[in-house]
Amino acid sequence: MNSGSKRKTIDTILKIALAVLVFTLPVWITSPTYLQILIMLFLFAYLTTCWNLVGGFAGVLPLGHSAYVGIGAYTSTVLWITWGISPWIGMWAGAVIAAIVGIFIGIPTLKLRGAYFALSTMAFGEGLRVLTENIMQVGSCVINGPRGICIPLVPGNNLALYQFVNKVPYYYIILIMLCIAVFITWYISRIRPGYYLAAGGEEPEAAQALGVNVAKYKVWAMGLSCFMTALGGTFLAQLTLYFYPKQILGLDFSFELAFIALIGGRGTIAGPVIGALLLRPVSEFTRIYLSSVLPGLHLVIFGLILILVMLYQPRGLVEPLSRFYDWVLDRLSGEKKEVKA
Amino acid sequence: MDVNVILQAIINGLLTGSYYGLAALGLTLIFGVIKVINFAHGSLLMVGMFACYWVIKLTGWHPYATLLLVVPMLFFFGYAMQGILIKPVLEAQREVREPTEVIIVTTGVWYILDNLALMIFGAEYRVIQTPITGQIFMLGDYIFPKPQLYGFITTAVTSGLLVWFLKFTKMGKSIRAASLDRDAASLMGINQYRVYNIAFGIGAAIAGIVGCVLIPFYYVFPTVGVVFDVKCFIIVVLGGLGSIPGALIGGAIVGLIESIFAQYIASTWTELIVYVVFLAVLFIRPAGLFGEKRDW
Repeated sequence: MNSGSKRKTIDTILKIALAVLVFTLPVWITSPTYLQILIMLFLFAYLTTCWNLVGGFAGVLPLGHSAYVGIGAYTSTVLWITWGISPWIGMWAGAVIAAIVGIFIGIPTLKLRGAYFALSTMAFGEGLRVLTENIMQVGSCVINGPRGICIPLVPGNNLALYQFVNKVPYYYIILIMLCIAVFITWYISRIRPGYYLAAGGEEPEAAQALGVNVAKYKVWAMGLSCFMTALGGTFLAQLTLYFYPKQILGLDFSFELAFIALIGGRGTIAGPVIGALLLRPVSEFTRIYLSSVLPGLHLVIFGLILILVMLYQPRGLVEPLSRFYDWVLDRLSGEKKEVKA
Repeated sequence: MDVNVILQAIINGLLTGSYYGLAALGLTLIFGVIKVINFAHGSLLMVGMFACYWVIKLTGWHPYATLLLVVPMLFFFGYAMQGILIKPVLEAQREVREPTEVIIVTTGVWYILDNLALMIFGAEYRVIQTPITGQIFMLGDYIFPKPQLYGFITTAVTSGLLVWFLKFTKMGKSIRAASLDRDAASLMGINQYRVYNIAFGIGAAIAGIVGCVLIPFYYVFPTVGVVFDVKCFIIVVLGGLGSIPGALIGGAIVGLIESIFAQYIASTWTELIVYVVFLAVLFIRPAGLFGEKRDW
């Protein structure tokens, strides 16, 4: 067995071990608090992976993605409360609405340059929040303005209605959603539209000159990203069972998604997951232990990390980490760097 | 509706729009020269407000006297922020016209400043009594609140000085040259980054002026910047990023929309109208009223 294939075997073993660990975590971790932290971690990894389809691959900076989280949450919840439609069905309705809205917003804005795109998505997100806060009721659908919506509880674990008493089912749902999202990103990055998207993100003029309809692929990426983001919104609504515009449609939410992607590494497959893995614990633990003493500390830390990453590692932390992983593989397979080269 | 009521609404709108425009002026200057949207602009304004608040609280000065302290402080703050944080990113991304990395760095500064203020001063809304708080000036039947009226005058003076500085001083000419073509300006012997530092410093100093203008009639709280951030973004895009008259006129438009529509509908809805107008402008004419096509 030569060292190259040995290295590959170790790589596979490590990845399988990681997958087994992740899928059996609820067996080891029984504390609902820690499980909740893990669920939120995966949810943010999922939402950031969706964000990355536009913010990473299409090379623009969307700062209003909470709008689509909100569309997903509000649509499925309103459908269930008003007409008794299960959130499992309602979430697809929310996703379709989010995709249509995303495409509608994307067509004019994706033509704009960096700053203009960032500003217009941000203004759209804020506009949607203000609109939601102003609406108490549409026909028989209750929106409740700034007070938000409380999802009525159903007894026990109810799979059909997407409500569970313990956290484990939520854990597996979001884990599977994350796996699918990562798979979609991976798949897109190796098919032709993915190449077009990356080319358009890096050098729009050059790609245009080669006959690639950059705008078209960007709009599709936006639609797909919003579609998937809205599914995450329904999950968040079902997990917390209460949400209000300032939280779910807020600027901070949008910025946190962007921060995670940028610190992890935008435009990479693993970046959003790594970003969530690094940042969510920071925000959860400072919130739990320090929020009464030092409110806002986690955002100061986020800001500092963000600036440092932009100054010293502008492509995100995925780069040094994958170098480290390569180094570990080399050591485990007993291979020296020089030999490989 | 009574004509007098409408006229009064127009007066209020123009007075409000003047300090909106002044806040946007710093943002548009920075964008015009460095091609960077300073997302921390509202936070700089917040820093200016807190600085002014504490100077008045500790010394009892007139709010406009605090300008003597607050403006230099914010100038150096902006100068240092550009020199220490933004310059390295600009140098690394030399070939990109508008690197998004810079937006991200300024966003980081925004989060740090706002939350540091939250940690230090707490979340409560503060007001301070100044000699001009609540005073009004009557002209015929029309009411001019003095703090806002002084704000209007300050806006006029500041923008006049800024235009004079950019048109007639050597540094102003260098700034304009660097904003037109940074490479050509460098070849003409202009120190590009020094020009950027000074432009950023001036932009921050203007945010400090707005802080002092606001103190007599506005609350101070750690996230006050966000309110003005979003307004400034809307105004600069309305008027055209990088355009000085655009910022002032955009400010007036937003002020007028807010005050005139407030006569007919709830004020929470006027906020929405501002957003709708903003998105409409972006879709129909992204360059805004006075912007350049190549910027978008």
